[in-house]
Amino acid sequence: MDLLAAVSNQQNSQPQSQISHLALDIGGSLIKLVYFSRINDSCRDNDELRSHNESLGVSNSDTSQPILEGRLHFAKFETSKINDCLEFIRSKKLRLGGFHDCTSPSSDKIFIKATGGGAYKFADLFKEKLGISLDKEDEMDCLVTGANFLLKAVPQEAFTYLDGQKEFVQIDHNDLYPYLLVNIGSGVSMIKVDGDGKFERVSGTNVGGGTFWGLGRLLTKCKNFDELLELSQLGNNRVVDMLVGDIYGGTDYAKIGLSATTIASSFGKAISDNKELEDYKPEDISRSLLRMISNNIGQISYLNALRFGLKRIFFAGFFIRGHAYTLDTISVAVHFWSKGEAKAMFLRHEGFLGALGAFMSYEKQSLHGLMVHKILPRFPISVSSAGDKIYCSLNSDSNENEGIECTVYGM
Amino acid sequence: MAGLTEDLVLGVDDKIEGFQNKNNNNSNSNNNNQKEVIDKEGLGVRGEENSNTNNNQGGERDMAPPASSSIHRSGSRPQLDLSKAAIQGNSEERDPTILLPNQSDDISHLALDIGGSLIKLVYFSRHEDQSSDDKRKRTVKERLGISNGNRRSYPILGGRLHFVKFETSKLNECLEFISSKQLHRGRIDSHHWNSEAPANENAVIKATGGGAYKFADLFKERLGVSIDKEDEMDCLVAGANFLLKAIRHEAFTHIEGHKEFVQIDHNDLFPYLLVNIGSGVSMIKVDGDGKFQRVSGTNVGGGTYWGLGRLLTKCNSFDELLELSQRGDNRTIDMLVGDIYGGMDYSKIGLSASTIASSFGKAISDKKELKDYRPEDISLSLLRMISYNIGQISYLNALRFGLKRIFFGGFFIRGHAYTMDTISFAIHFWSQGEAQAMFLRHEGFLGALGAFMSYEKHGLDDLMVHQLVERFPMGAPYTGGKIHGPPLGDLNEKISWMEKFVLKGTEITAPVPMAPPGTTGLGGFEVPSSKGGTLRSDASALNVGVLHLVPTLEVFPLLANQKMLMEEPAAYGKLGLANLLELREECLREFQFLDAYRSIKLRENEASLAVLPDLLLELDRMDEEARLLTLIEGVLAANIFDWGSRACVDLYHKGTIIEIYRMSRNKMQRPWRVDDFDLFKERMLGSKGKKPRPHKRALLFVDNSGADIVLGMLPLARELLRRGTEVVLVANSLPALNDVTAMELPDIVAEAAKHCDILRRAAEAGGLLVDAMTNTLDGSKENSSSVPLMVVENGCGSPCIDLRQVSSELAAAAKDADLIILEGMGRALHTNFNARFKCEALKLAMVKNQRLAEKLIKGKIYDCVCRYEPAS
Repeated sequence: MDLLAAVSNQQNSQPQSQISHLALDIGGSLIKLVYFSRINDSCRDNDELRSHNESLGVSNSDTSQPILEGRLHFAKFETSKINDCLEFIRSKKLRLGGFHDCTSPSSDKIFIKATGGGAYKFADLFKEKLGISLDKEDEMDCLVTGANFLLKAVPQEAFTYLDGQKEFVQIDHNDLYPYLLVNIGSGVSMIKVDGDGKFERVSGTNVGGGTFWGLGRLLTKCKNFDELLELSQLGNNRVVDMLVGDIYGGTDYAKIGLSATTIASSFGKAISDNKELEDYKPEDISRSLLRMISNNIGQISYLNALRFGLKRIFFAGFFIRGHAYTLDTISVAVHFWSKGEAKAMFLRHEGFLGALGAFMSYEKQSLHGLMVHKILPRFPISVSSAGDKIYCSLNSDSNENEGIECTVYGM
Repeated sequence: MAGLTEDLVLGVDDKIEGFQNKNNNNSNSNNNNQKEVIDKEGLGVRGEENSNTNNNQGGERDMAPPASSSIHRSGSRPQLDLSKAAIQGNSEERDPTILLPNQSDDISHLALDIGGSLIKLVYFSRHEDQSSDDKRKRTVKERLGISNGNRRSYPILGGRLHFVKFETSKLNECLEFISSKQLHRGRIDSHHWNSEAPANENAVIKATGGGAYKFADLFKERLGVSIDKEDEMDCLVAGANFLLKAIRHEAFTHIEGHKEFVQIDHNDLFPYLLVNIGSGVSMIKVDGDGKFQRVSGTNVGGGTYWGLGRLLTKCNSFDELLELSQRGDNRTIDMLVGDIYGGMDYSKIGLSASTIASSFGKAISDKKELKDYRPEDISLSLLRMISYNIGQISYLNALRFGLKRIFFGGFFIRGHAYTMDTISFAIHFWSQGEAQAMFLRHEGFLGALGAFMSYEKHGLDDLMVHQLVERFPMGAPYTGGKIHGPPLGDLNEKISWMEKFVLKGTEITAPVPMAPPGTTGLGGFEVPSSKGGTLRSDASALNVGVLHLVPTLEVFPLLANQKMLMEEPAAYGKLGLANLLELREECLREFQFLDAYRSIKLRENEASLAVLPDLLLELDRMDEEARLLTLIEGVLAANIFDWGSRACVDLYHKGTIIEIYRMSRNKMQRPWRVDDFDLFKERMLGSKGKKPRPHKRALLFVDNSGADIVLGMLPLARELLRRGTEVVLVANSLPALNDVTAMELPDIVAEAAKHCDILRRAAEAGGLLVDAMTNTLDGSKENSSSVPLMVVENGCGSPCIDLRQVSSELAAAAKDADLIILEGMGRALHTNFNARFKCEALKLAMVKNQRLAEKLIKGKIYDCVCRYEPAS
């Protein structure tokens, strides 16, 4: 597969590429990395970079030439395996992607932008193991920045998914706001976005990806999230869920628009049977769980969109993973509750909003040069390496390992 | 106030014996109790024993107390109403069904809500309407000018709505229950099951919920009844509207373990959001009666909690799972904000460290397997996840339609404190205090009640007019007909019933301990203290009562400050206790012990009546002043009797009752602990030769049977009558402990009147002795110019009395009263000790409970209270 080839190629070509600008999003379940690598021809060595940084810190606007050209790479690790992540950063010399404290240039301190709760929780660990200080960025800020960046800069970033059909959405940059951003990580945040840096976290739910994975693990003994997700594709939730038809003896409750196959109560059938946990197929359980959670998120998202009159809802976060059934269930939920008025849209780089946002925040510090004037998305061209341990099935829908080739212009 | 443990046990034992006798030998109703009862029935209204005896053979002896004289008057007897009768279906068929549209008695008084997990039953049982139109009452009514006769002619005169649930998977138990109680036979009047059974070929039962469709055939096959399907949402709304309008204290808030009842303004009820949490969840915007729209719902509901809970914990029942949750600590499973942020809050967006970021989120990162987690923790985590989610979606929907009130119903809640707190918190949190979650005590029965309301001709459209009274407010969850009430009796318990109930009441009403607020951020969303022992064990008890239909209940008109009392229910005294005692009585009634003390009461009455003549003679030999003191002493002394009732009963049999009475009286050394006797005496007899005017009418709230009524209150009544004061004896409508009931009083008075002219004439004037005495007292009519002695029922079935809810009869009788005498611990101390009246009031009681003595009068056990208060 090309993508895999690209991955290995990328890894092999390490010496030629120069890493800069690593940013992290350390969530409750996953650590997301975004880093930038320059392509050979624009490669400069560390000293150059450092001096460049320093010079920019002093006077910041004399060139308008592309100063950096390269790729954005995306990688993720399980938070519980943070050592793998540290090792990855070390081996790839990603720490060089940090920056020095420009207020005290003599200091050796390297800062790396990080967001998510883990930026606080693991700050000491990074210091100790890598000698890196984490420069903490607000999680919501980063999510929004990341989403705005993706929606504006990357064509074919957003798509709808209905009845198995994926359809890319053209985003009109002038008519992007307001929208509802639903980030489904371990938990779910719902953010009303009114513009760059203008947003409000309006809601959220504690029933999110962590719930799916946690409950799923307890119920099925799956070893990881992706395995669980894969199981769900083979399952049949009717075995576990109580459907309207189960209550009404197979008939619809048409008066209020509930068909016989509507789920009346998730896991509701697990009560009346004399079956034990081991009598249920893990596939069915996973399917039922996935529907329950996806549907719930879709519903709460819609209600919040409705509340603020938002027509567009973008779903992101690592829960989704481009998984067709998840996409479908959320879409159906939004469609059902809004009676077709609202549409669920998804982002290809769903999992990396926060990390991207943190990455973007470098601009505020010293790297004005990284301000993205234009992205050249020869897309999908290259793939970053992911943390080896958490490969999910690399089917063509899986977008999380895509890199973005881009050019960064100086001011 | 009655109340010795031994008494109760004696009564119950007797009853069980009798009950078994009856079961063993159904056709023979001559067990001892029965015999005694019938023998005893001497002077009351007579002539209808036969019909009673017949009925008793039907297995419902206690439904038809022999003393009752009027059950089978034509007014209340089921009759065929043939008007508009029509043949249904093809008249060419053999035995076509005849439809009798106006035959209201034929309507089944059972309605079902068959959900995915539970079957909810509401059924009606009629009060044995013993006294509805006996002569006593008629006369009283004429005299008091009550004219609500037309209400009495309704097919339903008074009765009870019962609430029972079954698991849908145990449908057979439900069918058996219905069949054993003959609920499907459609007879309001249960006495006629046997005699008129065949008339129910086409019985129809109203039912709602999906199961009404699914199981319709099964009902037809097994019970021979057709299911008339009612729309589920219609029923939910009808049930909720009914409860909110008709039941006092139906809705309440529950915040951080604190329960508070909500006053519902009937004119400002709509619109509201009704959230019914069954297996799934329906959210309905209600704009009025029958005006509603199902606006949302969620598939994450009670079935999810139970289903997932079962898979994860192997609990065998919902309640078990719920109970587990009380000892859980969800922090071991949920990923909290603090877990992600290294123990810190994410204060920028208002999330405290203890906020759940991801339910079950910790189950991912640990190396632990399912078996490594405590089921308690799993259950709590699950409960919070679902409750919180429902709260959130409910709030969002309320917000969407601008609804400020959200009522939660459905069987998921089960009065479970933590569930309610979590939902309340979610509403509060998301609405920033703008919206409020309210819960319904009959939460699980909305649909069934609504289906029940949909019977058009059962007369219950009148329910809104009728006041419903709950006799069971502290609640016993009914599962499969099983009642979990407080223990009914323990042979060797040394503490009195009162103390036991106070104890139980404290347990039940005590708030669930929560982590002290402020220890971790957001208050209500915190974990309860995980010390399982401190959590009340019966938090899952349903606050569901049996609803009594009492034609009218009113506020006692003589309460001095009704408004204050409305706003501060505590002003009545220990209402919680009153409720508990009601509960206990209701339990007994439910178990067919309709009057567990009947035989004891009769024995005591008999023994006391035997010595009454001697007492009266003695009294009549005294001067006025000594007599008044002796009478008050007598009331107090007789009130002590119920403390040592068993010893007393033995003594009665030896005929030394008068000695005990005197002995007890001699112990009444004044001054009593509360002693306003001199004030009262001055009011009665005047001072310095000035004769005060006598009272016009006195209401005597009587207490126990036996010596208490016969040797205590009746002589006092006699004294008042002698002075030209009309006397109204106010007694319980339903039996409670050994309290005398309004039903029994006429017999006692009649017996007493045999020995006393004053009582006889007054009883005649009051209509208590009309039929019985005319034969023996020829020409006495012209002599009976006496002021009348009357008996009215108070509308209660408890040793206490809640003066906010009294019978219309009593309210009417109170109109001209200028003196109230409250007797006994329950009525004068436990409740109403601090109540103020518009007329003079005398509160007499012997304190037979150490705790109460200390608390109320700073005295000792057996202290006496004689509190006289002028009109305020």
